[in-house]
Amino acid sequence: MSPAPTPGLFSHLVSLLAFAVVTVGFLLLWRQSLPARLRLFAAQSVILAALAAAMAAFTDNVELALVAAAILVIKGWGIPRILVRVAPAHPRPTGPTRSPAGLLLGGGALVFVAYAVMLPVAREAPLPTASGLPLALATALNGLWLCVTARRALTQVLGFLVFENGIFMLALLATYGLPAIVEAGAFLDLLAAVLVLKVMLGEIHESFQSSDVDRLRELRG
Amino acid sequence: VILSVLLACPLLGAAALTLVRSGRLADVLHLAAALVTAGSAARLALEVWREGSVAGAAWGLRADALSALMALMVAGIGLVAGMAVPSYLRIEQQNSLLEPARAASFRPLYHLFVFTMLLAVTTESIGLMWVAVESTTLASVFLITLERTRPSLEAAYKYLLICSVGIGIAFIGTVLVYYADLRQPGETQQALTWSGLLVAAPRLPSRVVELAFVFLLIGYGTKAGLVPMHTWLPDAHSEAPAPVSALMSGVLLNVGIYALLRFKTVTDAAVGPAFAQGLLLAFGLASMAVAAAFLWTPRNYKRMLAYSSVEHVGLVCVGLGFGGIWGVGGALLHMVTHALAKSALFVLAGRVMQRYRTAEVARVRGLRHAMPWTGAAFLAAILALVGLPPFGLFVSEVMILRAGFAGGHGWAAGLALTLLVAVFAGVLRAANRMLHGRRPDDVATGEAGASALVPVGLNLGLLLLLGVAFPAGLAEALARVVRVLGLGG
Repeated sequence: MSPAPTPGLFSHLVSLLAFAVVTVGFLLLWRQSLPARLRLFAAQSVILAALAAAMAAFTDNVELALVAAAILVIKGWGIPRILVRVAPAHPRPTGPTRSPAGLLLGGGALVFVAYAVMLPVAREAPLPTASGLPLALATALNGLWLCVTARRALTQVLGFLVFENGIFMLALLATYGLPAIVEAGAFLDLLAAVLVLKVMLGEIHESFQSSDVDRLRELRG
Repeated sequence: VILSVLLACPLLGAAALTLVRSGRLADVLHLAAALVTAGSAARLALEVWREGSVAGAAWGLRADALSALMALMVAGIGLVAGMAVPSYLRIEQQNSLLEPARAASFRPLYHLFVFTMLLAVTTESIGLMWVAVESTTLASVFLITLERTRPSLEAAYKYLLICSVGIGIAFIGTVLVYYADLRQPGETQQALTWSGLLVAAPRLPSRVVELAFVFLLIGYGTKAGLVPMHTWLPDAHSEAPAPVSALMSGVLLNVGIYALLRFKTVTDAAVGPAFAQGLLLAFGLASMAVAAAFLWTPRNYKRMLAYSSVEHVGLVCVGLGFGGIWGVGGALLHMVTHALAKSALFVLAGRVMQRYRTAEVARVRGLRHAMPWTGAAFLAAILALVGLPPFGLFVSEVMILRAGFAGGHGWAAGLALTLLVAVFAGVLRAANRMLHGRRPDDVATGEAGASALVPVGLNLGLLLLLGVAFPAGLAEALARVVRVLGLGG
């Protein structure tokens, strides 16, 4: 594997795609309807796959191409499909919704945090992809933000998925792909976590007759 | 070879137990798997003792003194808690709280859980360790929801979500360590290993390493139950079936600390020990303080034990924060002694729960009349847990506090001591209420399934041995582990 041949074009492309991922993340915070959010999550995963594919092309890395394909199939298509199918069983809780303005403001603040944390790190190594590192952390933080502000369990799972997209992006940009076994293990583990969460959602819904997070308040003290 | 055997035992056990799903044979297989696993861990410890470290045949497995200690702990507590499993499952089924089909899935998952923990502590690769630690969550989550009650579902959901996020944050830290070690873009590297990282540490950029350690501390700290990432712990540990609680509180938390210990060693080599020590001290004291606030008036005895785990994990981190041979050695010993005491207590709490059908302190009365042996063992284990001599926790706590006072952390050691005393008072008060008083009329007397008391007795015996005799080999063993951690030459 050789260093990137045309760092200029390469790093511009990476920055562009990274920005696109963050922008879709913001749209995700803004939209309130779950199907729309799931479509946006699928779009974000597709962009992430494109980012991985671009890196694979510029560095002649076959493993990365496989990673890109896996992201495209599993996160761009499979997981959104599964979640769309369970969505009707989890109607939106009644009562006041979170204000989109507040969510976006929080998300914006987290981008600043991400830059403050990651810029010194991005300066440490001469990677053409370094400019995307703060954006990757911003995506992860926005996912967490969605997770903690969610009012129903399904949205929490979605937030976790966005968080996961962020950390995969970080791994891609910072390391050009981890060793194959780690990459595969991490991918499968997180996939399994999502599937287990989905199973658990079903069971919670069955026994609580609801999946409002507010109802999950029996354990105290 | 011994490493492969060690990892194969629980895997084969799990596979066999998916085939033999119930009956006497399943119990025998289950115990055999736990026993052989513990035996191989002991064998591994012996080989490491003789040769310093043992390399595995494949997968980048390698065990040094620290790995051997951890493996011994995981497999040993796995055996102790495992011995309580048959009677636990039988009584739950008798009380028709558990369907036979679900009971059948319990044993294979149990061994899978043990396998993931063993893998986490014996792999050389930081990536594979991450995968293994994440797998511990996945393997244990369905153990918590064994009885499908609403609280257990809620607890398992919180556990899975919070720990998955935590482990995701640890992934960021792992990636940053990898990034710090990256020399050239696109360069092929060998998988990151502990030994490779230690060699490379002095030339790693300090800012990246510091940031990575913060992410790793938050991430693996979530698994270890450090405040403020501990919120899943009291729920999961109190709702899980007793043998699983014993395993989770006894050793799963220690696996989280193990990951922190490894990265702390690398961080120390890269930026000096002060950075990690300060952070560990702060998180440790915060954990102790939050736990002490709850433990002042515990209402639910299983939650009391869970919060006590938060407290002890905090104390271990305080010990690591004090540093030096006494601090780190004390922290390591404390991991062992706490695992022994806590696993015994959770097994006992499970027996109390099965008899009184409540986890509330206020509704358990006259335990020493209803279950004389369980009550006596409960009292002894509680006394051990709060750090009274002649039990082992007294020794490890004294070592940690000595490190603090001698190492110029007087205020921190003083605070830790104060918190320990507060916990002492609260926990003893609760135990006192449970043991004495009049037994409710609908609670039967006598001991059922008393075979579960054998491992508890074993644990208490070991704690007594560690407290009274402090065997000569132990000091040397601890010193060797401390040396692995880059201290004491």
